Amino acid sequence: MERLRYFFQRTMFSMRQNPLLCSATIGTVAIALMLLAFFTLIVLNIQNLAREWSRDIQVVVYLDQVPSEQKLQEWMDEIHQYPDIEQINYVSQQQAFDRFHARLGQNSDLLEGLMPEILPASLEISLTESARSRTGTERLIELLKSNSDFHNFRYGQEWLDRYDAFIFLLKLTGTMAGGFLIFATLFIISNTIKLTIYARRDELEIMGLIGATPMFIKTPFMAEGALQGAIGAAIALGGCHILYYFFLKNGLAALLTTATVENIQFLPIEYQGGIILLGLFLGLIGSLLPLRKFVRI
Amino acid sequence: MIQLCNVGKIYANGAPALHDINLKIPSGDFVYVTGSSGAGKSTLLRLLYCAEKPSRGQILMGGRNTTRLNSRNIALLRRDIGFVFQDFKLLNNRSVFENVALPLQVQAVSKQEIGTRVYQVLQYVGLEYKLQRKPLELSGGEQQRVAIARAMVVNPRLLLADEPTGNLDHDLAVEIMEMFNRINESGTTVLIATHDQEMLQRFPRRSIVLHDGNIVADSNPPAPEPAQEIC
Repeated sequence: MERLRYFFQRTMFSMRQNPLLCSATIGTVAIALMLLAFFTLIVLNIQNLAREWSRDIQVVVYLDQVPSEQKLQEWMDEIHQYPDIEQINYVSQQQAFDRFHARLGQNSDLLEGLMPEILPASLEISLTESARSRTGTERLIELLKSNSDFHNFRYGQEWLDRYDAFIFLLKLTGTMAGGFLIFATLFIISNTIKLTIYARRDELEIMGLIGATPMFIKTPFMAEGALQGAIGAAIALGGCHILYYFFLKNGLAALLTTATVENIQFLPIEYQGGIILLGLFLGLIGSLLPLRKFVRI
Repeated sequence: MIQLCNVGKIYANGAPALHDINLKIPSGDFVYVTGSSGAGKSTLLRLLYCAEKPSRGQILMGGRNTTRLNSRNIALLRRDIGFVFQDFKLLNNRSVFENVALPLQVQAVSKQEIGTRVYQVLQYVGLEYKLQRKPLELSGGEQQRVAIARAMVVNPRLLLADEPTGNLDHDLAVEIMEMFNRINESGTTVLIATHDQEMLQRFPRRSIVLHDGNIVADSNPPAPEPAQEIC
């Protein structure tokens, strides 16, 4: 208990004693993590948008004849047995005709005199989110082909290829840039904390001389680093929120043309918690690295 | 008992500092390590408090081979050693009280006991009325007394002092040396590295003379002549 109180007092005392260095560390963490939070915010919104787009991924099975209600129910039951099926929607000839009519808009009068029977009825099959890819779609078609009643499919192959490539690129960019930003942040934080520790190397030496164990010497510095990291991360989130509210929300909506301002979201609470934890962790590791060099008993 | 057996030290840059040192210091002894600058006095002290490892040879302290200790055990060993340096090595952003209390905090001594022991030791060095001051508000002699109080607060078995009077004027140096004598009388082994010949003559004790990393003399002061009775 005495020891815990000592560590807590030392951490607070040290931050009060060196306000300039303390502010520099917190400021560095805040700027570095704000970049990271900002980047995460953009990637997350693009991912959300991509998820919206992926709702359009569906397999359409055109039916040669209008099925009886019993037959339709049999097919529906059969398809529901397949893996990764989210929804099956039967589109009758009349519904298909109405849709086509609506799509033609001002030119809908071209359809005058034509009957709904010119268009086939169809089954629109949606996949669960994890299966919305070329592989998932092709797997479903293979299963559908096992039924001889189904032989005419449409699933927008080119669009799927482009979607897959986009998601791959987004994940790759996100991982690489995120990883790079985390390492850069760690490097910056570590160097800033190194300055703090260098300024207090006499204290480290004296602590070693009077019989303090390496852990006893390091703990207040690590606690200080972690606390500064967490405070910096909180400031970064605050700054990011301001940027989001005043600039990013409208900017992103304009950039991702299909999204409305309401669709652009701030980081979810678990991401905010993650960034605070990341700040804490980076502060801890950032102080541990230079301490290994300076605390030698 | 401190024992050095064939101890040699060569620094990483190849500079030899000590050669084949063999030495025995019994508990409760008062020893000067003397010699010119660069003779190896400070290196010898650094080896004793394990700030350096010898390039060869063994160092035994209280029966333990200190050359084989890990960093945690080195820390525990240092809790039995008091240190006094020429440049005091005080924390200037902490008060006299906090500086002296530091070794006790490291050993997780209770707050109440810290208060009692720090006050007692500050009384011993005559600084109990300046316990709230910061080191830089004190004179050189007072700062050295704070350093001695910090060394003494843990009742060490060994006190190591590296040029403790080097930064002090004559009167203050005498005062500090008298304090070391009193500490030694209480049973603490005292080892002082110094080249202050005047202090050596004024407070004669066993002297180990180093030159270029070798012990060239190890002598005790002549016993005082018995007073002749006048018939």
